Amino acid sequence: MIQALQASLVYEDHGKEIRACDAIDLEICPGEFVGILGPSGSGKSSLLYLLSGLKNPTFGAVLFEGRDLGQMADEERSRLRMEAFGFVFQQPYLLGYLSALENVMLADPVRDLRKRALELLDLLGLSAKTGRLPHELSGGERQRVCVARALASHPRVIFADEPTAALDHANGVQVVELLNAHRGEGALVMVTHDPTMLHGSDRIVHLTEGSIHGEQTRQM
Amino acid sequence: MPRRNRAILKPRMFGSPLSPLVYLVRNASKSVPMVGVIALAVMLIAWIVALMNSIPDSVKAVYSYSQYSLGVTPRGDPAMTPKLVETFRNECPVPIERIIVCRGSSAQVKSIVGDWPFVVLAFNPDDMDYFLDKHFVTGIEGRKPSVGQPEALISEPVARNLNLKIGDVLLGPDKTDDYSPQDVRIVGIAQSTEWMMLTDLEYHKANHFPPIDVFLVLAKDRKTQAQLDDWALERFKGDRAKLFAYRELEESTNKMFATLYQILNVVIVTLVAVIALMIGMLTNIYQSQRLVEFGLLQCIGYARRTLLLRSLKETLWVTVVGWLLGVLVAHLMLRVAYMVLMEPKAWALNTMDPTAFAYTLVVPVAIFAVGAFTVLSRFRRFDPVSIVERRLV
Repeated sequence: MIQALQASLVYEDHGKEIRACDAIDLEICPGEFVGILGPSGSGKSSLLYLLSGLKNPTFGAVLFEGRDLGQMADEERSRLRMEAFGFVFQQPYLLGYLSALENVMLADPVRDLRKRALELLDLLGLSAKTGRLPHELSGGERQRVCVARALASHPRVIFADEPTAALDHANGVQVVELLNAHRGEGALVMVTHDPTMLHGSDRIVHLTEGSIHGEQTRQM
Repeated sequence: MPRRNRAILKPRMFGSPLSPLVYLVRNASKSVPMVGVIALAVMLIAWIVALMNSIPDSVKAVYSYSQYSLGVTPRGDPAMTPKLVETFRNECPVPIERIIVCRGSSAQVKSIVGDWPFVVLAFNPDDMDYFLDKHFVTGIEGRKPSVGQPEALISEPVARNLNLKIGDVLLGPDKTDDYSPQDVRIVGIAQSTEWMMLTDLEYHKANHFPPIDVFLVLAKDRKTQAQLDDWALERFKGDRAKLFAYRELEESTNKMFATLYQILNVVIVTLVAVIALMIGMLTNIYQSQRLVEFGLLQCIGYARRTLLLRSLKETLWVTVVGWLLGVLVAHLMLRVAYMVLMEPKAWALNTMDPTAFAYTLVVPVAIFAVGAFTVLSRFRRFDPVSIVERRLV
């Protein structure tokens, strides 16, 4: 479904060339839970941005269902992200002036997601807080709202960039379990530096200094 | 209403959660000051222009009676009057209804910028009746001056302007600028929108100096009066006659205020530039505070163009609402000013002055242009990943 073909991300930092991702070959299959594991600065997030079309590879290509993300115009790539992808970031980013329900409804402004958003918030244990503004929610609750937003439009791939980084361990585990439990047939690509968060994954990709250094596949 | 329901209901009123109105209403602490600044600027400009316009408008209103007749006085030789009258009768191409030979003395009326000269016309009874009829007098409170008596008839705007009533003295020996050897008391107030002060011709001839007959020329058809004036101004150029035509009054008034309007334009342009820059800076600050919002929305699939249009719509809403509010407040304030300051003195003030409101249009246009430029330049350089990577937060 998603293929990285010799995908590299190179940028300059104070005149020095940095290879955040270096000629990565990787394929994500439909419905798969792939964990990307590595120490800080290993290029995990950069790889996630390449796979999700948030960044274009400097060299190589990233294909989604055979289409090169790098060749798409901004509007087309944005539409793809909205219709096919869901995102959970390190921080529980929500719009401060919108309620939890409205934040979930942001997942797709074209479709009326009110019913789906209410269902998801109920499933995630937030049915009593749908009308609350983000500052009236705890950190864990905010991240659960982000999970609901990521799941709201039935995405084919969910990208989670260290979604547990700002949470305590118990809340972190709960967020990952919720993502995994409610993703339906969508694939889940999760970046983390904490291997305990990847218990439910089908495959773990180890990244070091921008390169894949090994893969583990869960034994069925 | 419980908090939950409140938050769920509101977006339905405005459409989607990302409707510009949802942001503006729920961030009133930011949007209201911007609307307020624009409204104040619009109000200030409308006020200045409307009040400035009221000065020439008042001049024209005070002397408006002169548009229905042409005033002629001889120059250097009082004996010229009959000759001038004859020339009019024989040569004027526009049919004349009547030539009124009369006398005049000076008086003062009050204006926003101080006292202005005004003429007290002295007629015989027949000519006075005709003059009143021609100047839309619908009725007289009191009566007309008696022959040979120190009595005056004034119109309602004059009475308001000078705060005079029947029995008060219009001209008198103690009045330097409104002189007459006897107290000339008001015996009647004419109901008309035109300004006029009239006395009896016999009293005037017996008491006023110099003994010079002047005359008014009235066209048969009121619509042709301007044509008659134009002919006379051309015919008597360089002649021993001084003509008082309404067109000349309009021209000299416009010329008198032209420089003032140029200064006004500079003031308004400066004001608009300052306010537009201020709003531009505020927009810039508010946009900076919303980087997380823009970054997040772009990451989850909102195209740059969609977000840009949304920001521009917000700016448009703020400027349009600010302008409308400013126009409304300006109109209400002008009405108050008219009632409190202008109407008691019979001064002109158009509370719906189209020129004044047209001047204010530059405010929303300039502010929208500066706001749009700020938003565009922000979006051009913006990288949403920098937000989710936490490089910019």
